[in-house]
Amino acid sequence: MASNRREFLKKTGLGSLGLLGTGILAGCTTEEEVQSRLSQIKEQASREYTQQFNMHGYAAPALDVVRVGMTGVGNRGSGTVRRLASIEGVEIVAVNDLEEDRVNSAIESISETHSPEGYYDGEDDWRRMCERDDIDLIAIATPWHLHTDQAVYAMENGKHVYTELPAAQTIEDCWRLVETSERTRRHCVQMSGSCHSGDAAYVLNMVRNGVLGEVIHGEGGYIHDLMNRYNFSKTMYHNLWRLKENIDRDGNLYPQHALTPMAQMMDLNYGDQMSYLVSMQSNDFMMADRARELAEEDEYWEPFVGRDYRGNMNSTLIRTHKGRTILIQHDVTTPRPGIRFDLIVGTEGTYQARPGRLGFSYDDGWIPEEEYEALMEEYTPEIVRRFNEMRERAVETGRAERSYARVNATDWRLIDSLRNGLPVEMDVYDAALTSSVIPLSEWSVANKSSSIDVPDFTAGAWETNERGMRVNLESGGGTTRIR
Amino acid sequence: MSNKLDRKEFLKMSTAGLSTSVLTGMSLSKPVVAKKRTSQQRPIRLGFVGIGGRGTWHLSAALGIEGVEVPAICEIRSDRLENAKNMVEASGRPSPNLYGEGPMGETDFERLCAEEDLDAVICSTSWKWHAQICLAAMNNNKHAACEVPLMLTLDEAWKIVETYEKTGKWASTVLGGFPDVTLLNMIRQGVFGEVLHIEDGYVHDLRFVKNNEEREPWRLQHSIDRNGNLYPDHPMRTIMPAMDINHGDRIDFLVSMSSKAVMLNRYAAEQFGPDHPDATRTMNQGDYNASLIRTVNGKMITLNFDTNTPHPRESFRLQGTKGVYEDGADMETIYLEGPSPESHEWESAEPYLEEYESPILKNYNPPARVGGAIEGHGRRMDQTPINWHNLIMAINEGTQPYIDTYDSVTSSTVSAVTEASVANNGRPVDFPDFTKGKWKERTPIFMEV
Repeated sequence: MASNRREFLKKTGLGSLGLLGTGILAGCTTEEEVQSRLSQIKEQASREYTQQFNMHGYAAPALDVVRVGMTGVGNRGSGTVRRLASIEGVEIVAVNDLEEDRVNSAIESISETHSPEGYYDGEDDWRRMCERDDIDLIAIATPWHLHTDQAVYAMENGKHVYTELPAAQTIEDCWRLVETSERTRRHCVQMSGSCHSGDAAYVLNMVRNGVLGEVIHGEGGYIHDLMNRYNFSKTMYHNLWRLKENIDRDGNLYPQHALTPMAQMMDLNYGDQMSYLVSMQSNDFMMADRARELAEEDEYWEPFVGRDYRGNMNSTLIRTHKGRTILIQHDVTTPRPGIRFDLIVGTEGTYQARPGRLGFSYDDGWIPEEEYEALMEEYTPEIVRRFNEMRERAVETGRAERSYARVNATDWRLIDSLRNGLPVEMDVYDAALTSSVIPLSEWSVANKSSSIDVPDFTAGAWETNERGMRVNLESGGGTTRIR
Repeated sequence: MSNKLDRKEFLKMSTAGLSTSVLTGMSLSKPVVAKKRTSQQRPIRLGFVGIGGRGTWHLSAALGIEGVEVPAICEIRSDRLENAKNMVEASGRPSPNLYGEGPMGETDFERLCAEEDLDAVICSTSWKWHAQICLAAMNNNKHAACEVPLMLTLDEAWKIVETYEKTGKWASTVLGGFPDVTLLNMIRQGVFGEVLHIEDGYVHDLRFVKNNEEREPWRLQHSIDRNGNLYPDHPMRTIMPAMDINHGDRIDFLVSMSSKAVMLNRYAAEQFGPDHPDATRTMNQGDYNASLIRTVNGKMITLNFDTNTPHPRESFRLQGTKGVYEDGADMETIYLEGPSPESHEWESAEPYLEEYESPILKNYNPPARVGGAIEGHGRRMDQTPINWHNLIMAINEGTQPYIDTYDSVTSSTVSAVTEASVANNGRPVDFPDFTKGKWKERTPIFMEV
């Protein structure tokens, strides 16, 4: 398996780009190197750390205009740039991608209100963009393996960072993000999957108001069938990078969508902290077969035959210092409707998604829909009210009809916080903690599901940190409009 | 699984084709073949041990079956013993021999097993007695039909296996219920492709039951002393045949994690006041337990266990390479790649459940009950439950119930192994192979559904 890897990378072009994935066997050719990487996860996870500066609750100087440089405008980033472009006070000044036509089409998509400069001169052109001194925030939507390097370089160059998940894929990279953010006092905010919006926002508000009692257990996952239309597609991801992440690599590769909302409901990093986790994985019953089927018709897929694919189902159990438990699943292959944040169990009540339901008694079961709707209305958090208000105003001006007006509350609140000089709702510790589950789950799977301690990136500050994710805009702001 | 399945089973069943060989597969009764009963005419003689809620239900179930005799009953509480005696007499049967408290304050089951001429002992006591009662029955030339769990410890598990192999008398948790055979039918017909993950559990708020003298107060002690998944058998009785556990695959190892324990202290404080000992007593059992189980063929099982929180959920999910099935508390949904009309959208599973309804259920038409419906345990049933039918057929035909000794022991052993894992920060714990390699040759059960 390992001996084939160099050949495989050569054939598929991954190696020639120098874009080695960060999986367990990434770039490894021997069993020793695999073991060394695994022991490095363990070593880095037990590292002693003293905080240089607490970025939790840190309010960076207010920016009236937030000048944005965007890197990666493929499937994901082409939408991100349009979303950001539709927020008041945002000026998109630079757009970067490997492919010129993607850059041009992103620029074109926002040309009515923004005139960014394009950067597409090779693999390192994003560095040139980060080095500009007229940019405040670098937004990142490139393939996973680039996120940390780009985030660190952006912060080193004085920029805040708004990165697609995962912010990091190794424990070492999680530490790099924390150290760089603390040293530079620049924020590193991970996008997606939070309690800024959707049912999770309402549930967080209920949790904060004690409606469910004390939270004991949560469940969710990234259940998203990417099998044929995405991962085994020649056109979807540049150079099939996402399929390749599933080769020679085990673990939960994408925990944040489910984990971030639950972490916020459990006050992780500000009141509680992860203690240890275990992770288990099934065999692969699908991807190897799919590769073989495709290769029978098309030799393009030959290099993918006989590879060691990630098992279809990964389940990770996490226990917190205060005795809460979390179950997160990861499955991007089997045909099934999606699941993200799914369940929260408290001492007084329970919320379950798909469809949203609340229950306060085993015997009575779920409460009737009208009562559920009434409770959701009662506990509508201020962040949702204010964001909807801003959207409605945009609708009145007729601009929300435009495709790029699909701004979400996470984008909006980040820009709003930076413009008002407020702490961000999710900081580098949240990015590092939720990302660390990736390599920790890889280690656990490789060690027959043994438990591994989760590093405390706050270096003990979680015990005294004030609550993050202020869903009722307790710190103020909420004044930024949507264009 | 929800009560719905019971309802379905019991409303729609008829008997043709329900022979135990169909239910249990070919090699199940090896290596020890129980002796076939010499005369079909001879009545089946059952001795009952434990006549609480479940025991009363089982006694009522047995008394409605023609050809079943109940010559002996054992129960520690005299009011219950008297009630059971009256039930037997009211059915027109001879008055049973009664066994009460034994010399050590235990029930007098040892003497019952030694002295009575019985085909099988029906065990529905509190959990801690199950293994001892089963062993006493087997060592006295009687089969043991037991409520779940079959036993609590690994030591008890191995003793039961060894006793079965030595005596040819089996022990089975057939009293616990019957699997979802319609779902098994769909699996056998390839509807879901290869089944790779199943999740289910036991989520049932039993705080009242644990704290009520008339219900199951002994259950509280388990929450005080233990910490793990204490009730795996209900989900496992469908999961095991669905994954061919012990019949082509077997459990390799598991990890288990429990949350903190706060609910039982709070309940005691609210119900009995803050000065009650249970308001502050250390409760070992975490309020939520989750366990991950891996098989040697690389499949996975996720089990949850929560009997303390006000949690309405109880959901079963089965994932195959071609589709997924979910049975929540109030709906059954399915998604099959291809057949389902909308891409990655759930649809109601009803039409599929009808189309693939198991012949076992369709053809189930047991003899009319004598003396009326079964009463007890908060339910009423006009028809003999299918697991009871299966039990009687097994005794008659000299086979084992659908869940045989190896499978019953395996299912209940999940508790002990999860306890070992929880006690060590979720350490992976290897699962014993009670079949000693025979799982490779044992063919899947319910193959002919």
